[in-house]
Amino acid sequence: MSASLYSVAHSLVAIVLTAIGSVLPSPLRQGITNAGLITALGVIVFAAILLIASMLNTIVLIWFERKLLGRFMDRRGAMHVGFAGLLQNFADGLKLMRKNTFRPDEADGLGFYLGPTAYMVTSLILFGILPVSTGWNSGVLPLSLLLALVVFSFAPLFIFISAWSSNNKYSLMGGMRSAAQMIAYEVPLLLSVVAVVVVSGSFDLNTIVAQQQNYWYWGPLFLALLVFVAAMLAEMERIPFDLPEAEAELVEGWNTEYGGMLFAFFMLSDYVRALVGSFLVVLLFLGGWTMPSWVPSAATSFPLAGIVWFMVKVYVVFAVFVWIRASLPRVRTDQLLRVGWNRMIPLALLSVVLAAGVVMVKCLPIFGCLPNLGI
Amino acid sequence: MTEEALTPQTSGQDNPVLWVVRPMATAARQFLKSLVRPSTIIYPFERLEDPKFREEVAVAAGKPIGVGAVWDNYRGVHALNIATCISCNLCSFSCPDLCIEMVTVPGGNPKHPKKCPQIDYGKCSYCGFCSDACPEGCLSMTTRYELSVTKRSEMVYSPEKLFEVFERKLPMNPIRLERPANEDAILLDAPLCIGCNACARDCPTQCITMVDIPKPETPPGAKAPRRIWKEPVVNDSDCVRCGTCISVCPKECLFWGTRA
Repeated sequence: MSASLYSVAHSLVAIVLTAIGSVLPSPLRQGITNAGLITALGVIVFAAILLIASMLNTIVLIWFERKLLGRFMDRRGAMHVGFAGLLQNFADGLKLMRKNTFRPDEADGLGFYLGPTAYMVTSLILFGILPVSTGWNSGVLPLSLLLALVVFSFAPLFIFISAWSSNNKYSLMGGMRSAAQMIAYEVPLLLSVVAVVVVSGSFDLNTIVAQQQNYWYWGPLFLALLVFVAAMLAEMERIPFDLPEAEAELVEGWNTEYGGMLFAFFMLSDYVRALVGSFLVVLLFLGGWTMPSWVPSAATSFPLAGIVWFMVKVYVVFAVFVWIRASLPRVRTDQLLRVGWNRMIPLALLSVVLAAGVVMVKCLPIFGCLPNLGI
Repeated sequence: MTEEALTPQTSGQDNPVLWVVRPMATAARQFLKSLVRPSTIIYPFERLEDPKFREEVAVAAGKPIGVGAVWDNYRGVHALNIATCISCNLCSFSCPDLCIEMVTVPGGNPKHPKKCPQIDYGKCSYCGFCSDACPEGCLSMTTRYELSVTKRSEMVYSPEKLFEVFERKLPMNPIRLERPANEDAILLDAPLCIGCNACARDCPTQCITMVDIPKPETPPGAKAPRRIWKEPVVNDSDCVRCGTCISVCPKECLFWGTRA
């Protein structure tokens, strides 16, 4: 459909370096228009574009949540900085950057700084793994779904590290809760993904999306979608499953002792993970960047059409997450565990069986090998 | 879903699906309602007394009220009409907080400078006595209530600033005390008067005229009193009972009383 982001970055670097080299003397020109240098700089520029686009999206996502939550609560949300408060979060970020980073005396230095940094990094890696549109991601990974889920589930470890090394009872309780919560949601999450993998027959997200060209998976796999969304809410630690943070009980949960930029790391990573969770829902169940057939081809062939269509879906999914946040109260740990093990795992197993049934139906001769089930 | 949401909270308590569905339906209804316009107003840019809110506010208050959200007898910032002020000092006298100071404004003559009230809103208690006392109705309280400032010195409103408030034609507090017509007249203890003209000179309404009185016959050898043979006569209908004449009288021969 369009050139990949990496080739765009590569040719951009090549053009700039050639332009610089043309005004330089010959030996320098040889050095600066070196193919290896262009490739290396191309990777860096590619990563920078990816990072900036992701960060902008994350910050806009925070604004989106604030505005939506405001409407749910009969108020307006941020209003004054920028258009409808769009720049409010940039101002907040600037404020956090200017603040002093403070470490309690009793805290363990290594863990205290490693925790938020690793949390941020593992969250940002996900943007390199998940494809947003054809050619957007860094490459075709045959097991990209598996890799994404693995990196996604690192977070409780780093939460626990930072909570333990904060040397604060509230932080520690939050970290413990985060670890306990992981036991509840991780199994049904992976089982519901198994249903998708069974139907699509691939761990590659590009393939999974391509398979949904004719029908999105949320119709046949509705049960798996329900389990996946519930488990994803727990994975993202959003209300009603924000037990580790639980600002009504534990001061600020596991990031009680953090302030300034380290707190911003946590805050930003939370929303990065919310964005990535919405990405995964769209990729696995809502057809990714595939356009409906009624969209005219003029709109489809527009270079960024796939990304725009994908992001619209992502924001709709995130709006549902916000809706849930605005409606439901926080559950207790034992309730979460009971729901996870007594309800979600059987439902996820059932959805795997249903997925196997869908595969069988697909291959029945009367339906043809790839029936159009409709959306 | 709507029927479920409308049923009493006790029914369906055992159904966990309703635990999720009912609050989400409630939230969705609230969202759709406030999507058109949330209940909050953007205060410094919108005000409840704006015409577009007027009807809504009146319904919420249960009765029609004067000026949008603000009752029309609200006691807010003063408005001062400098042109009609007669410098009578009554506002300053009546102020229980001593927040009114009479300061000179242009417009008087060098001998009798024009003085108008300057109000320190850091002290003012908004009792409204000053506007009740004002005989000319030039000092009134308006419905303006926004007084936030960043410096204490900005809380002192000079007469010019109060005149700016007046020029905005804000709604004024219409409640005004009626004063009895013939009470509290200025009476004269005639034998003490020396006819010095101080009262007539300083009267802000020019209602005191000095009239000639006959010089009494003195017996030979007795010394005639040294005085000007004139006496003040107060026009009660013009007098505003400010008491300036009493305070300037050097012989303390003027006093309050009821005229027969």
